[in-house]
Amino acid sequence: MPRPDRFRLGAGWVGAGAVAATGAVSALLLIVGGYDPFEAAGAALGGAFGSADAFLSVTLVRSIPLMLTGLAVAFAFRAGVWNIGAEGQLLAGAIAAAWVGLVGRALPAWLLLPMLLALAAFAGALWALVPALMKVRLGVGEVITTLLMSFVAIELTAFVVRGPLQEPRGVFPQTEAIAAGARLPALVPGTRLHLGVVLAVVAAVAVAWLFRQTKLGFRMRAVGASPEAARMAGKIDTGPVTLVAFLGSGALAGLAGGVQVAGVTYALYEGYSPGWGYTAIAVALLAALDPLWVLATALLFGALEAGAAAMQRDAGIPAVWAVAVQALLILAVLALDQMRRRANAGSAGV
Amino acid sequence: MIAVRARLDGVVRRFGSVEALAGASLEVRAGEVHALLGENGAGKSTLLSILGGMLRPDAGTIEVGGRQVALASPRVAWALGIGLVHQHFTLVPPLTVLENLALGRRLQPARLGRTLTRLRAEAERLVQRTGLDVRLDARVEQLAVGERQRVEILKVLLRDPSVLVLDEPTASLAPAEVASLFELLRGLAAEGRAIVLVAHKIDEVLAVADRVTILRAGRTTFSDVRSKVDAASLVRAMVGESVTDVAAAVGVVVVASGSARAAAVGVGVGASVTVDDAARRRPGGLVATLADVRMHASVGRPALEGVTLEVRRGEIVGIAGVQGNGQRELARVLSGRSLPDSGSVQLPAGVGFIPQDRTLEGLIGDFDLAENVALALHADPRFTGPAALRWDAVRAEAERVRTRFSIVASGTKAPAYALSGGNRQRLVIGRELLVASDLLVAEDPTRGLDVAATAFVHDQLRRATETSEGPGVVLISGDLDEVLALSDRLLVVSRGRLTPVPENARTREGVGALMLGDSSAAA
Amino acid sequence: MSEAELELFLQASVRLGAPLALAALGEAVTERAGVINIGLEGAIIAGALGGALGALAFESGGAGVLAGALAGGIVALVFAAFAVGLGTDQIITGTAVTLGGLGLTGAVYQARFGATGTALTLPTLAPVRLPLLADIPLIGDALFAQAPTTYLAYALAPALWYFFFRTEWGLELRAVGEQPDAAAAAGVRVRRVRLLATLLGGTLAGVAGAHLALAHAGTFAENMSAGRGFIAIAVVALGRWNPPWVLLAALFFGAASALQYLLQALGLDLPYQLFLAIPYLLTLAALAGWLGRARAPAALATPWPPPR
Repeated sequence: MPRPDRFRLGAGWVGAGAVAATGAVSALLLIVGGYDPFEAAGAALGGAFGSADAFLSVTLVRSIPLMLTGLAVAFAFRAGVWNIGAEGQLLAGAIAAAWVGLVGRALPAWLLLPMLLALAAFAGALWALVPALMKVRLGVGEVITTLLMSFVAIELTAFVVRGPLQEPRGVFPQTEAIAAGARLPALVPGTRLHLGVVLAVVAAVAVAWLFRQTKLGFRMRAVGASPEAARMAGKIDTGPVTLVAFLGSGALAGLAGGVQVAGVTYALYEGYSPGWGYTAIAVALLAALDPLWVLATALLFGALEAGAAAMQRDAGIPAVWAVAVQALLILAVLALDQMRRRANAGSAGV
Repeated sequence: MIAVRARLDGVVRRFGSVEALAGASLEVRAGEVHALLGENGAGKSTLLSILGGMLRPDAGTIEVGGRQVALASPRVAWALGIGLVHQHFTLVPPLTVLENLALGRRLQPARLGRTLTRLRAEAERLVQRTGLDVRLDARVEQLAVGERQRVEILKVLLRDPSVLVLDEPTASLAPAEVASLFELLRGLAAEGRAIVLVAHKIDEVLAVADRVTILRAGRTTFSDVRSKVDAASLVRAMVGESVTDVAAAVGVVVVASGSARAAAVGVGVGASVTVDDAARRRPGGLVATLADVRMHASVGRPALEGVTLEVRRGEIVGIAGVQGNGQRELARVLSGRSLPDSGSVQLPAGVGFIPQDRTLEGLIGDFDLAENVALALHADPRFTGPAALRWDAVRAEAERVRTRFSIVASGTKAPAYALSGGNRQRLVIGRELLVASDLLVAEDPTRGLDVAATAFVHDQLRRATETSEGPGVVLISGDLDEVLALSDRLLVVSRGRLTPVPENARTREGVGALMLGDSSAAA
Repeated sequence: MSEAELELFLQASVRLGAPLALAALGEAVTERAGVINIGLEGAIIAGALGGALGALAFESGGAGVLAGALAGGIVALVFAAFAVGLGTDQIITGTAVTLGGLGLTGAVYQARFGATGTALTLPTLAPVRLPLLADIPLIGDALFAQAPTTYLAYALAPALWYFFFRTEWGLELRAVGEQPDAAAAAGVRVRRVRLLATLLGGTLAGVAGAHLALAHAGTFAENMSAGRGFIAIAVVALGRWNPPWVLLAALFFGAASALQYLLQALGLDLPYQLFLAIPYLLTLAALAGWLGRARAPAALATPWPPPR
């Protein structure tokens, strides 16, 4: 398995270079497609940052699930756990949140909301437990198993919204709206920005502190950088550390699902996630797995999505372009980081 | 006049700004065993990689069979009759020996079955002729180290090379196996092949070579026939004159052990040679005990069986053995890194461990010096709060290690990957001595180090055990000369069992016989 | 259950299993060389769009399949340029390629046919009844009255098995996936092998995509690959990287999806989503070793030469 320490993407000119290269290639593609890149950029920037409401209600709200899932991915990758199943863990969290929000109508908000978030995180961790045990106990690589668990979660979501949690009329594959007391309050009145953004920032700061200052975080980083050295030089039992990485990552992704249900959709439906769990890999990667940078890169991706929607509305350019631009951005970072590495290999010796 | 099979001249190869080869030359003749010597980092491996077509030179000429050639790939090198036996095993573990022999041959690409049939016949004939005993249908992952080595050689010989290059083939062989390998090489040379043997043990070289070439700092500094050289002149040519200063500066005490290498250093340094008297040292209290320890291995027989060992303060217990006889498992059990399947283990609180592979197991390249020191301190209550590490204290400790062990680095924030091999080992030893108040387990601590760095490591091990208050040291090493020179007590590990070496068998021959599991030699 | 219902179920199983089989057989080759191409999803959707455009342009389903193969191959080439050529991380590169495939096909589709999504009608890839074989009772129609691309999958399974285990090329491929250093030392060109294995995988994924558009749906829709690229990776694991088993595993995944039609036909109101989850759970069980030994190639997802 590759090691997370091998990419350091926040480093120097890589980030800026990648954004510039992506902009240039995107503009070229837009011209080829018969669009005006400046009009596109104007519309996109306006949609993402054009007004306080555009920024708070659209960009920021869209980036919240990416912040939390991005943190989930960074949390695991830093410890050498290639959890690419944040998607499934998010769905597990969303299912748990919807369930709590529906059955807990009688409970007061101060109890219901924390319970919803806690259970969402717990469900996400539970979803990560299967690949975690398979890795720690049986030595089965997590890339395929976490992916498989995501598919199970997708089918489970489809089942739940057509079965036990389906809205009472039994027509649509979705749940009823959750109790008012289970919803995250608005952060800025008059916008759709909810308290979830505070949760995401707190989580990022907590994870950053964990990695930089604590014993556990140090052990996770050591195992991620070199499991052999962690065992031999650090006398670290890698099993429990790996388990923590899986469960913490799953909990963060599950929390993302809970926050989305409680803060934005207020319900669960079939096809719930547009792929947050996968986009999160790109978010975490662009942030060089640094928890605080995850906030910034998630915001960038949120802005891309918000901008794309505006681009389609105002400039008639299909919103799917944003997905292609995300792909270009990742490829640009990969290529530039590889070049940086080669340059460094020369100066540092072999 | 003997035919020159291959000639490399003025070869230069850079990696970034580092010049690994700065004008290396080598002339290989038919019917000769040609030894290539050099300290670690002298460029031997780079030169071989160029000869094998794995790396291209930046400058210089290569002639094979009198024609100038470009060795653009391993395939081209093969085609020109150059066969390379790598230092690291280049076999595919889940495949059988026969399939490994077939890999890359392209005899009948679409009919693997026919290729295998043909190679089986060829391999069986070759086994008959050379005595390289291997089981063709066994999976490589089931084979012991020695047998894998034989497969490697067989693989190359099957391609009938006119130039056979072996990169440190003796590193994992017992003395008797080395002897039979050398016999084989002589025989192959007598068939008219040119043999290039990379080695770092001078006595081995003197035993088998017809001609010796020495690389130093990427340049060929010496090349002559065997009859005109002796151990002392070879060492001087390998390390240059500066070694005397370096060795003197670290206070090296060289112990006579009958080894050409150690004796030669003694000559080079010009220091007085003292004979160690084990009886003079008085070990202190018992610090560690293993009793009837048994441990499984991934394949085959148990890695450790019936192992009983007591270690006292202030003594160096040497454990000699051929690689792959249970050393790794023993080191891990003794250092508390692994639990045995059965038997009792009593270890003290303050255990330090110098693992065999400092780059992979001893250090984390992307961590800085302080973080690497923290690897040993992260569970120590003096350096931790309830949840957090006390990084200021760790960093201060790292700075002390850096100064005390003269580690060449810009500071404690320098990443470990930027350190040289010798400095890496200083960092590992310095760190482990911080925690080794009771016991220090060192596994091949001088592997791959140059003469000066080796002397430093030996000196540290001796200093640690100067008094009976010091930690007990267990030195597990495949280097016979090293354990003979340093140990107060000597044991041999063979097939997972420990055998004490009687006083009258403390010679290269006696210990060598024990290493192969021949207990009669000790009697 | 009547015989007719069972026949329909089997037909649907093969129909749903065939594109998975094509993509998974290709991915098996790629993974045997030590490369995991998570960008398979991107290659499938590109193959679907390429297939649609090719079929429209030449008014032929066959031309569509070729165009789809080409499109899938191009996507794999992009992946290989990064993951094999530059040695970038395979998982992350694959994620990007999937995103890029989904994004660009969507953009091209909307540019060409408009954002409203009027249903395209494509020249289809007609089923071909194999004489005699198709007349076998019960399974004949299901297995042998399918689009030609389905027969390609049937043929590939034994052919690839022979290639893996009975040719020297296959030996080299497996060595590259297990121990690339050893393969390189023996003279095997590791990166070339990995490039070709990745290209073959992408090409077959492209055929799978074209099959989806031309033989399955008769139209193109955005995101119509619907995660099949990821499912194919699961199929390879369930099939233990051995082509005949991979084919069976793909048909089994197909059968699980077809169960919903069977249940509907039988008028049973069972939660079919739970049946859809069964193949994934079985694959997990297979990886856990509960269904015999299933071990991934040792160098899977490991860049070569190793990063310094």
